[in-house]
Amino acid sequence: MKCTLCGHVYEQEKGDKGVPAGTAWDDVPSDWVCPICGARKSSFISV
Amino acid sequence: MVVREVCKGVYSIGVFDWDRQVFDELLPLPDGTTYNSFLIEGSEKTVLIDTVDPEFEEELITNIARSGVSKIDYIIINHAEQDHSGSIPVFLELFPNAKIITSEKGKELLKSMLQVPDFKISTINDRDTLSLGDKTLEFIQIPWSHWPDSMMTYIREDKMLISMDLFGSHYATSELFIEDVHTHYVNARRYFAEIMMPFRYPTAQNVQTVRELAPEIIAPSHGPIYKGKEAIDEIIGAYTDWCSDRVSNKVIIPYISMHGSTKKMVSYVTDALLAHGITVKPYNLGKADTGRLAADLIDAATIIIATPTVLFGPHPKAANLTFIANILKPKAKFISIIGSFGWGGTAVETLKAMFPNNTAEIIEPVYIKGLPDEEAYGMLDRLVDEIVKKHNELFKK
Repeated sequence: MKCTLCGHVYEQEKGDKGVPAGTAWDDVPSDWVCPICGARKSSFISV
Repeated sequence: MVVREVCKGVYSIGVFDWDRQVFDELLPLPDGTTYNSFLIEGSEKTVLIDTVDPEFEEELITNIARSGVSKIDYIIINHAEQDHSGSIPVFLELFPNAKIITSEKGKELLKSMLQVPDFKISTINDRDTLSLGDKTLEFIQIPWSHWPDSMMTYIREDKMLISMDLFGSHYATSELFIEDVHTHYVNARRYFAEIMMPFRYPTAQNVQTVRELAPEIIAPSHGPIYKGKEAIDEIIGAYTDWCSDRVSNKVIIPYISMHGSTKKMVSYVTDALLAHGITVKPYNLGKADTGRLAADLIDAATIIIATPTVLFGPHPKAANLTFIANILKPKAKFISIIGSFGWGGTAVETLKAMFPNNTAEIIEPVYIKGLPDEEAYGMLDRLVDEIVKKHNELFKK
């Protein structure tokens, strides 16, 4: 899933800030924000 | 307007902006700044690393003339921000055979922000190298410290890292290399808060890249140069700490007060926190230097925003500060709001909605009518107790 504001990519295999590796996008908490620019999950699109 | 040697074949030819007072129409600059530019003379090729703010393009051109070089093969742009790239147009007029080297993203930005022609720009990828004969340049991309196109240029033979804005500081000093370490630390910390803190997550990774590279000289694009293990270890250590999630036993209270009711609440809370041995710093937003406030946000565990109600909402200066705090993304763990209203409004709700980036826990706000009375002080006591309790949990020895 890619952030439409800054281009940061969430990769399930790696996880991300505060999110363990392997977490599916739907399981990432709804209040999680892009670690680069702070955008919400709703600003991410699938690539 | 001087040319100074950094190490053999590498010259600092940037400019001083002694009088600049504000950056980005936002950051106060109490001590001006510098725009650093470096000339590297290899046995076969000569390159320029970054230009300067276009207000000083003539000085840069003069410095280049004084350096004695007659040909510049490449100009390397570590990031396209105009205080470093803005003199490119005039530079290309005077050196029409020079080619610009930057990242793909940098090329896109140079074309859109400065209308540099496409054919003038060559792009590189992370860890590509360029030979100047007896010197080898390596390009290291560090996106989002602080621009998407950010990269550094490393001179392998001299172990000199030209680090773009990373490790920079906004102050004009005639020291080419850092000598006054205390002054430098304060300025570097402030710079981090204003420029890098919003990107502390990718910056932590980029700092690790620098640590692994183990340079002997680090030359940022603003402020003096780091030379030697001690200076470099210190700034890498500082950045690592600032980027981490570690907070200090500190409460910052940005406040504004029109007739004194909110100020009374701030004074009461300040004194109570001091009595518990907590570091506390109130900032009067009517007078505060927001850069210093931002620097204190680097490691404050708790932020209390104090504001009266104006036209049914928070005072605009408190709203502005909250907006800025939200985009700087400090790592504070706790936030609260206190203040006084005359007849009503939505100050607390409005402010609460203004920091979506923040994952801090909100401690119950204390918002009262008029001048604080016994009941109000009782509520402030509970707020202070809550903060003390949370801090004790965090900082217990």
